[in-house]
Amino acid sequence: MFDLVWLIPAVALAGAMANLFVGRKMGRLAGPLGTIAVGAGFVLGLLILFDLLSSPGEERTHVVRLYEWFAAGRFSVSAAFRVDPLSITMVLVVTGVGALIHAYAVGYMEHDPRPDRFFAYLNLFVFFMLVLVLADNYLLLYLGWEGVGLCSYLLIGYWGDRPAAASAAKKAFITTRIGDSAMLLGIVLIFVHFGSLEFGEVLGERAGQGIASEGAFTAISLLLLAGAVGKSAQLPLHVWLPDAMEGPTPVSALIHAATMVTAGVYLVVRSHVLFEQSDIALPVVLVIGLISAVYAALASIGQFDIKRALAYSTMSQIGFMFFAAGMGSYTGAMLLLVCHAFYKALLFLTAGNVMHGLHDETDLRRMGDLRREMPISAVWFSIGALSLAGIPPLAGFFAKDHIVNFASTSGRTAAYVVALVAAFLSALYISRPLFLAFFGSNRYEGRAHDAQWSMHAPLVVLAVGGVVAGLLLGLQAEGGVLERFLEPTLGAPEAAHLGLPEGVLVVIGSVVAIGAVALGWWIWASGRVDWEAFPRRQPELAGWLSNAFYVNTLYAWLVRIPGTDFSRSVRVVDDRVVDGTVNEVAEDVGRASRIAPILQSGFVRQYALVFLLGAGVLLLILGLRF
Amino acid sequence: MRTPIAYFLILSAALFAIGTVGVLVRRNALVIFMSVELQLNAVNVALVAFSRMHNELDGQVLAFFSMVVAAAEVVVGLAIILNVYRRRHSAIVDDVSLLRG
Repeated sequence: MFDLVWLIPAVALAGAMANLFVGRKMGRLAGPLGTIAVGAGFVLGLLILFDLLSSPGEERTHVVRLYEWFAAGRFSVSAAFRVDPLSITMVLVVTGVGALIHAYAVGYMEHDPRPDRFFAYLNLFVFFMLVLVLADNYLLLYLGWEGVGLCSYLLIGYWGDRPAAASAAKKAFITTRIGDSAMLLGIVLIFVHFGSLEFGEVLGERAGQGIASEGAFTAISLLLLAGAVGKSAQLPLHVWLPDAMEGPTPVSALIHAATMVTAGVYLVVRSHVLFEQSDIALPVVLVIGLISAVYAALASIGQFDIKRALAYSTMSQIGFMFFAAGMGSYTGAMLLLVCHAFYKALLFLTAGNVMHGLHDETDLRRMGDLRREMPISAVWFSIGALSLAGIPPLAGFFAKDHIVNFASTSGRTAAYVVALVAAFLSALYISRPLFLAFFGSNRYEGRAHDAQWSMHAPLVVLAVGGVVAGLLLGLQAEGGVLERFLEPTLGAPEAAHLGLPEGVLVVIGSVVAIGAVALGWWIWASGRVDWEAFPRRQPELAGWLSNAFYVNTLYAWLVRIPGTDFSRSVRVVDDRVVDGTVNEVAEDVGRASRIAPILQSGFVRQYALVFLLGAGVLLLILGLRF
Repeated sequence: MRTPIAYFLILSAALFAIGTVGVLVRRNALVIFMSVELQLNAVNVALVAFSRMHNELDGQVLAFFSMVVAAAEVVVGLAIILNVYRRRHSAIVDDVSLLRG
């Protein structure tokens, strides 16, 4: 069964190719075909999962070598897939949530003139994402990594006739490229020190035994981290994610919430052996994650665009994942990754329903009380939001509490307090779109309508996942299901029990979440607070929040404006010197060509006379010389 | 006794001069054409004469070349003149001054 693992990406690729080359002829069948291609991958993933479960823990890592990709001297890379609990978890998330989002997109993209192009990109994305998570060496991983970046670019700019979408696509591609370049350097460093890029060689038992100095490990880890930070939209390379919301909503759900942006978390978790060899790498991961979590939560509260609010929410949640990985709780990061995929996809797709029902309205100020006309969508959004907020016993509660409480039990009191603040802000920021869009007073014009059944059906599954995923995978009695499943790959987490007792922590976490949602209800739904007046009364604070602390402005001052100025000055050189020379020469030739025609009378006999005179002169010269 | 080379050269120069004047003063394309042929043959005379003087065949071979080229040129030239005449009903070169700058 394991030998067939290549089929999972292969069917996605086949779907992409079919849609790319004969999609025009398939018309409306393009979407279902793409969905089936990803769904088939999910079924194959399940079969492999059952195979894994039937073998004992130590024997759950299989390397499937397909062929030698290329070889140069002692450097050889094979196209090989690694089947282990970590990769299969990612495969199931990518194909499972991916198939549901594909199914949703069939209805969402109904009015698109070329659905085949959309589904070709979407399937291609799934293919590259699967290559990324299944790869058995860093170079193949990098191939998938760049591939998903490409698909992200193509899909953000899917409506490229809108200038905003086109420039958002460029921004996403260029910003992540900064991280990717660093990551490539990290991969080169890995080869320099290990002589191989295979996970078995680099991350195996030998890794700890003094192959490289600690400085080298630090450099490798931080370079890989830079790639992860770019891809996962963490500080300071996060600026592309909110703009990426210009893409179609299923794309935001699949790429910019559930899967691609979590690739950075996967990379850190996969490479944790390298990170642990350095004293500062993991603390850096921790700090970046924690700051991003708080920062994005605050920024989300300032957004009035429902999708941008959700985008900052994604950044904040991934911050939690980095935070968990930075503490060494890799299973905590993975648990949140899985649960987040469910409820964030649910939230995005429901936001898509709202936009569909309100003729592409995304401004929360022009929504309100949608639960009357979109009751089913209101249920979905409530489930997603409460799950994210961490209301027990929904998925987000288990995942987030696992992480926040781990900070306390591992003795990181300061981090615990900050994480608790971030958790409070998370519950607050996600209750905001919930209450502003679906509760309170009606502020939209015309009538809304709820989506068709084909756009609700996938949400049922996601909603069930958003409710029970935590219970099934993360219930804490002697380590959750997911934790024990991932143990062969990620190792057992340290079992220290410092800080407050477990029971007290759970109560604190629940109280914080419920309190924040209650506060959110009071501000945005009760009608007792004039929230619309906030930007007028506190223009400073509202400005800082809605502009996400002016990081974009800062980058504009540091990079964009000097860059534009430089380009302008280069252009002056181009216009004056390069073009100037060419134009001057051309004008001189033109002037000369206005004189020359005087000689051209058109009379053949005159030319013959000139011939004769010329010949005479030549003869004269010859005669004088001899 | 051989005829002195100068006679031939004088004949050649005379023919060439007649041809040149013809090209310059006549306006009918056909006559100009004949004058050009006269110039070519004047040169041929000179070539053969020098060839004889040096007792070598190079000049005569060159004269044959020049005749072949002249024949080809006549074919092309006459075709052009014929076509110009068909279009304009005139073989006067001064009427065909389209290339005036």
